[in-house]
Amino acid sequence: MELIRTTWVTSGTELRWPWLVVLLTLLLVGLLVAWVRTWRRRRPAGAAYVAHTARLRSLPRYRALVQQRQLLGGFGSVAALVACVGGIVLGGRVQETQVIDRDEVARDIMLCLDASGSTAPWNVDVVQELRHIVEELEGERIGLTVWNNAAITKFPLTDDYAFVLDRLDEAEDAFASWSEVYPSEEFDDYTAGTWSEERQYQSSLVADGLVSCVQRFDRLDEDRGRALILATDGEQRGRGVYDLEEAGAYAAEDDVVVHVIANPGEPDTDGDIDGLQAAASVTGGTFAQLGTGGSAEDVVEEIDELEAAKIERPPLVQTLDEPRAGQVLAGIGVALLVLVWALQGLISMAGRRSGR
Amino acid sequence: MTAHLTRVKTRLSIHAHRKVRGLLEGEYAALQVGRGIDFNDLREYVRGDDVKDIDWKASARSRMLLVRRYVAERKHTVVLAVSTGRSMAAMNDAQHSKRDLAVFVTGVMGYLAVRHGDLVALVYGDARRQHVRPPDNGELYLERLLGLVHDAISPDAPASDLTAVLDYVARAIRRRAILVVVSDETHVSDELAESLRRLTAQHEVLFLTIGDLDPTITAGAPRRLVDVDVATEVPSWLRGDVRLQEEYAALVAGEESQLRRRLDQLAVVHERVRDTESAIRAVFRVLERHRHARHR
Repeated sequence: MELIRTTWVTSGTELRWPWLVVLLTLLLVGLLVAWVRTWRRRRPAGAAYVAHTARLRSLPRYRALVQQRQLLGGFGSVAALVACVGGIVLGGRVQETQVIDRDEVARDIMLCLDASGSTAPWNVDVVQELRHIVEELEGERIGLTVWNNAAITKFPLTDDYAFVLDRLDEAEDAFASWSEVYPSEEFDDYTAGTWSEERQYQSSLVADGLVSCVQRFDRLDEDRGRALILATDGEQRGRGVYDLEEAGAYAAEDDVVVHVIANPGEPDTDGDIDGLQAAASVTGGTFAQLGTGGSAEDVVEEIDELEAAKIERPPLVQTLDEPRAGQVLAGIGVALLVLVWALQGLISMAGRRSGR
Repeated sequence: MTAHLTRVKTRLSIHAHRKVRGLLEGEYAALQVGRGIDFNDLREYVRGDDVKDIDWKASARSRMLLVRRYVAERKHTVVLAVSTGRSMAAMNDAQHSKRDLAVFVTGVMGYLAVRHGDLVALVYGDARRQHVRPPDNGELYLERLLGLVHDAISPDAPASDLTAVLDYVARAIRRRAILVVVSDETHVSDELAESLRRLTAQHEVLFLTIGDLDPTITAGAPRRLVDVDVATEVPSWLRGDVRLQEEYAALVAGEESQLRRRLDQLAVVHERVRDTESAIRAVFRVLERHRHARHR
C-alpha cells in the first residue's frame, strides 16, 4: 500500500471572472432603475380612470392590505435580490486554489551496493544507517540492488517498510559475516548471482552496476524524485559495457540523482575516485569519500546529508470551481420568492373567499 | 358640429316615448314661476300640469282634460352649472364615461329649455378656473356650450371644486334663474352647503350627481384602473378583496345618504344619474319632485 499525501491545502479563493460580476451588478442596477422609473410614470394603455379613490385609503381594511403588501413585497424584494446576488456570484465563478506540497513524498531511493568482498564492511555501516532512515520514511519507496560483475535485485522499490527492514537485517548479517580469508556461506548465499563465471576476469563493474541500478527504477512516466545511493570502492577489474562517464549520463537522462559513498576498499589498489565524483556531480548528487580509517560516522553523516537534500519540486496547484456559495444563495432566494408568491396567492384567495 | 345635441335628441326620440317627452316638457313648463296672463291655446292635460290650469269648461265640451296654455311673460333663464374638474374624466359606477354622462344630462336640460324658448347660460370650471357663458337661446348656442363642457373635462384638468363653481355662479348670475347643477360630489361639505343655501335663496336649484366606479370590484370592470387624481395605477391587489368591497360599499352608501340628507335639509331637489337611459328618467323625476316641493 502506498501512502501518498492527498490532502490539498486551500491557499486562496478568488473569482475567475470579476468583470462579469461588475457587469452583472451594473446590469441589475440599471434594470432596477429603469423598472422603477417606468413603474412610477406608467399610465397603462387601455386603462380606465377612476376618481375619488382617496376615501378608499381611509378604510381600515385598505390599511391592513397595504401593510400586508408592504411586508410581502419587502420579503419578495429581498428574496429576489438574494437570488440575483447568488446568480451574480455563480456568474463570476468562485474558484478555490488548492496546493499540494510534494516535497519528499513521491521519492524513490535505490540502494546500490557493491557486493565485492572489499566493500562488505563498509556496507554494514551503510545498511545500518539506512535502517534509521527507513524508520522515518513516509511515502517514499526504497529498493536494494547488489552487484559485482552482474546485478541482482534484492528487493524492488517498495514502501512496505516492515519488509524492507527485514531485508536490510538480512543484508547486514550477510555483509557482517564476510571475512577476508574464508568467505562465509551466508555472504556467498546473499551475493549469489552477482558473480558471473563467464566474466571471471571482470569484477566490481562500477559503471555497469550503476546503470543496472538506474534501470531498477520503475514508473518512469511519473514525476517522482529518484535518488540512488551508490556505495562502492570504485576498484574495477576488467572493462564493462559502460564506462563511468556513460553511466553518469545515463542516470542524468533518467533524472536519477546519484549520491556516491566511496570507501577506500582494499588498501593496495586505488579506485576511480575522479570518475565516481564526476558521475555524482553530473546527476546533481553528492559525493563522499570515507577516510581510510573508515569510521561509521562518516557514512552516517553522508546519508544524513542525503536525507536532508530534499527533492525540491514545485507544489502542485489546482483550481476548483466552488459554486456552492452561489448555488446556496440563489437557491435560498428562489425558494423565498416562491414562498412569498405562494403566500400572496393564498392570502388574496382567502380575501376573495372570505365573504362567500 | 352638432354632435352633442344630436345625441341628446336621438336619445330622447329613441328611448323616451313620445308621451314621456310630453311629460318632460310638461314638467319643465310647470317649473316656470311667472305664468303669463295672455292665453295661448288649449292642450291635453299631461301629468305634471298644474290642476289650476285645467279649463273645466273646455274639458267638459271635448270630453278630455284640457289645460290652458299661456304665453310666458318673459323668457326664463336656465343656468347650467357643471363641475368640469379631472374627476369628471373618470368612469362612473355604471361604467360609463362621466364626461359623456355630464354632457348628456346637461344637454337634456338645455334642450328642454331651448325647446321652450328659454335662455340658457353656462357656468363651468374646476378648482383653478371658472368660466361663464351668458344667457342666450338657440340649439346652436346650446351645442357650443356642450362642446365647452366636453372639452373642459380631461384627465389633465385641475381638481374638481363644485363650491368654487357655485360661488362663481353667485357672483356672475344676477338675475333669477333655474340653476341646474351637474357634479360628481360624493358628499356635501359645509362650504358647499353654505353656497347652496345662498343660491337657493335666489334661484330654483336642481342637483344632479354622477357616481364613481368602485375600484374594488373585479367583475365586469376594466382590467386596469388609473387614479385620475394622482395619475397612478390602482393596484390590482386591491380588487376582489371581499372585506374591502364591503367596507367600501358601506362607505359609499353612508356618503350618499349624507348627501341626500344635507340636500333635503337645504330643500334642494337632487337625483343621481347612472347612464344615458336613466338620465332622462332622472331629469323627469327631478322636475316632478321640484314641482311638488314648490306646491306643497
